[in-house]
Amino acid sequence: MSTELPESAVPPPTGADESSSAPSRRTFIATSTAVGGVVVAGGVFAGTVLADPEEASAAEKPPSSRVSLTVNGTRRTVTVDNRTSLLDLLREHFELTGSKKGCNAGACGACTVLIDGQRHNACLTLAVRLEDAEVTTVEGLADGDQLHPLQQAFIDQDAFQCGYCTPGQIVSGVGCIKEGHTNSPEEIREWMSGNICRCGCYVKIVRAVEQTAGRK
Amino acid sequence: MSPQPQAAVGAPLSRVDGRLKVTGQAQYAAEFDVEGAVHAVVVDSSIGRGRITGIDTGAAEAQPGVLTVIHHRNAPKLPYRDNSGSNNPPGRRLRVFQDDRVLFHGQPVAVVVATTLEAAQHGASLVKVRYDAEQPSTDLHEAKPDKPTNYARGDAEAGLRSAAVRLDLTYQLARNHHNPMEPHATIARWDGNKLTVWDKTQWVMGTHDELAAVFDLPAGSVRVINPFVGGGFGSGLRCWPHTVVAALAARVTGRPVKLVLSRRQMYLGTGFRPSYEYRVRLGSDRRGRLSAAIHDIDAETSSYETFTEAVMGAGQMTYSMPNVSQAYRTVPLDVNTPIWMRGPGFASASFAIESAMDELADRLGIDPIELRRRNEPSEDESNNLPFSTRRLRECYTVGAREFGWQRRSSRPRSRREGDLLIGMGMATGVYDCGRFPAEARARLDADGTAVVEAATSDMGPGTYTSQTQVAADALGLTMRTVTFRLGDSLYPPTSPHGGSATMASVGSAVVDACNQVRQQAIKLAVEDRESPLHGVDAADVVVRGGRLHVQGNPARGESYRSLLARNDRTHLEARGQYAGAPSPARRSYFAYNATFAEIAVDATLGLVRVRRMLGVYDAGRIISPKLAESQAFGGIVGGIGTALLEHTVTDHRDGRIVNANLADYLVAVNADVPEVRAIYLDGEDNDGNLLGVKGLGEVVQVGVAAAIGNAVFNATGRRVRELPITAEALV
Repeated sequence: MSTELPESAVPPPTGADESSSAPSRRTFIATSTAVGGVVVAGGVFAGTVLADPEEASAAEKPPSSRVSLTVNGTRRTVTVDNRTSLLDLLREHFELTGSKKGCNAGACGACTVLIDGQRHNACLTLAVRLEDAEVTTVEGLADGDQLHPLQQAFIDQDAFQCGYCTPGQIVSGVGCIKEGHTNSPEEIREWMSGNICRCGCYVKIVRAVEQTAGRK
Repeated sequence: MSPQPQAAVGAPLSRVDGRLKVTGQAQYAAEFDVEGAVHAVVVDSSIGRGRITGIDTGAAEAQPGVLTVIHHRNAPKLPYRDNSGSNNPPGRRLRVFQDDRVLFHGQPVAVVVATTLEAAQHGASLVKVRYDAEQPSTDLHEAKPDKPTNYARGDAEAGLRSAAVRLDLTYQLARNHHNPMEPHATIARWDGNKLTVWDKTQWVMGTHDELAAVFDLPAGSVRVINPFVGGGFGSGLRCWPHTVVAALAARVTGRPVKLVLSRRQMYLGTGFRPSYEYRVRLGSDRRGRLSAAIHDIDAETSSYETFTEAVMGAGQMTYSMPNVSQAYRTVPLDVNTPIWMRGPGFASASFAIESAMDELADRLGIDPIELRRRNEPSEDESNNLPFSTRRLRECYTVGAREFGWQRRSSRPRSRREGDLLIGMGMATGVYDCGRFPAEARARLDADGTAVVEAATSDMGPGTYTSQTQVAADALGLTMRTVTFRLGDSLYPPTSPHGGSATMASVGSAVVDACNQVRQQAIKLAVEDRESPLHGVDAADVVVRGGRLHVQGNPARGESYRSLLARNDRTHLEARGQYAGAPSPARRSYFAYNATFAEIAVDATLGLVRVRRMLGVYDAGRIISPKLAESQAFGGIVGGIGTALLEHTVTDHRDGRIVNANLADYLVAVNADVPEVRAIYLDGEDNDGNLLGVKGLGEVVQVGVAAAIGNAVFNATGRRVRELPITAEALV
């Protein structure tokens, strides 16, 4: 059943740099499309996110912006196509493919990352709005060879099968524990329901979150 | 040959690939960093049937980064050689960009290739396609069916006429989509006339064969790589058109191409569990002994391929009765072609048959389990073969005891907790487990480690882990010293990773290969004058922890390492084989379950909530108990979706799927699944495989929807004969 989650299950961004004036992905794309020709002409396209120079010069360049953010503790400054989501930035440009694209519409949670410590769907977050943000992906949870306790709990409890939703589940679980929504299996189920597991590992995911929350 | 000690098999081990998966290091198809790869996005048709009259690609091609737009007017003609032996159903498979015809809403009509994903996506939105549209036919109940496939024994019409009790029931089952969390994806790269693809598939050899056929390439010039499959449930059992599109785009542009289907395109570009109308007429005496059953089964297929599945099996062999007739009719529609989905055929049939049995039990005032016991056959009445193993009675006994079945009230709508109506239900599940030809290669290296390879897959059940367990015991090595590799068409070929066949099939080939290697080593040792085992009867030697020794005398022996080093051998190697199911069949080989559900229905709102579920399984020997439990949980969760949530909705006016996304196509989420329990009966089934297994990935979903539906009836007194069971049906 489509459980109705409280809106705060994936909390809205907070902080000065994420004010309400920040464009949503939908309005931004609509805007940049509408004025495409004009903006394209003034676009800057440089940095690590680059098309093949030959091809890029053959046509006008898409609107792009420079953004500096911290990903898993590493400060990165890039110029990105304004249409690029955080998820595509991670997967296609930073080679951080741990965050998964399951629906690209905020409905499955496979792309869950922490932005400034809060759970977010990376597919619904435009990269250009992340100036100075701190992003943590599944690749940033372990301490060297030492797994994060929730990663270890997922292995112990066999809380995954195919593994595709797993990074999102684990990052979401880290957020869930941090938020304190782990007082009962019922509460964990509710607050972990933004992450679909089609292999059906929910019971074991709850056990893994419980195991980890109990250690704290 | 002395039996090898079993250390790994049967142990509740964690996944060998667990660390890769929890750290995000496991690489799925779209995640390979292929140098110079560009992005492709498919444009799909916006009509449900007709012809393309024009394509305007100007705006797309003007976009920065767009390299080309390929469609039927500029695509190279592809050979599309016949590919018999594939999972392509009979018919004429969809040929991408080869003509102007549109066969279903969402068919690929063009592909935009660009240097960035953003440019390809935007470009795809700018391609203008003009059509000469026709009215599509997408309604199972309105279209003309094909000629039926029939089965009969006895005289079912006469048996029904003379029965003291008769039921005539029609069940409707919604179309379900697999929706694995990983979208289907392909990266294709040409090196001259050789093609390499990283492709999401449950059968690398199948993708290999199809691409070789489509492009008319000689064997050996296609390589398919797919070490991790982010779920499949059947969606990866054949090579879909988008894989060909990726390879075509790579050929046209001369660049490696990455093509990832969007979630919406997963509903258009891959298959689905077809919708069914299943009418069953049952005849029995007043004590519940069945005398006849007539099954009329209609299922959707596409206009261009005739997809069928094993939907007739359960009605022939689950219960004892002298008279059965079945007619299974496919109904060609303007839709894309279905594909097997978890528990194929059996899961669909079980909803009708197991609901009907529950209706009969209620009519007769007999406990549903007792009714099933009274109709338990002593042999497979469809072919008069003995059952290899069939322990359904034990499933019922254990399940009833562990679930607390005695607390169920036989009178519907008699247990209430506040606003909630509480009910319990159960159902039987059967599945005809596959056993297909497979090969495997095992190599023992001088350092005492081994590598075992087969071109199979791991879509989630844990093939990496369970095959490592099998290999470790057969070689006499620890888990840590054995590496199992899969997902590469260069490895020894196997059949599809599906049909619950992987352990029986690939596992048997792995055992064969490893046994050969172990015996090579034993032979080397007993013939080696310098070995402590010299002169010992080879049949008395076992290997444990990488050390060969005399059975019952661990002190007399030596390690693989010392043996190979002294004999100057870098490695020992063997190729193992499994021929498939015994032919002709000597026994009827099925997996079984009894599944139990307790649900609560809000009396005012009609909302159904599952409270707890139990499955008891007769699935033969369990190789990897921890992972087998996860599979059972997954089957139950999938069944909860089929029972209460999942429904692909088509607008018959234009043939469009209106809920092709994960917000509107509902699947079970964490809050939908409170308490689930799985019990595997101890035992083994040695019919035609070396491991005593039957297979369990499919049977765990069979019967789940019926158990929930029967619980809904027990709770409310309302019989819902349409899946999914929604609040609308209960208020």
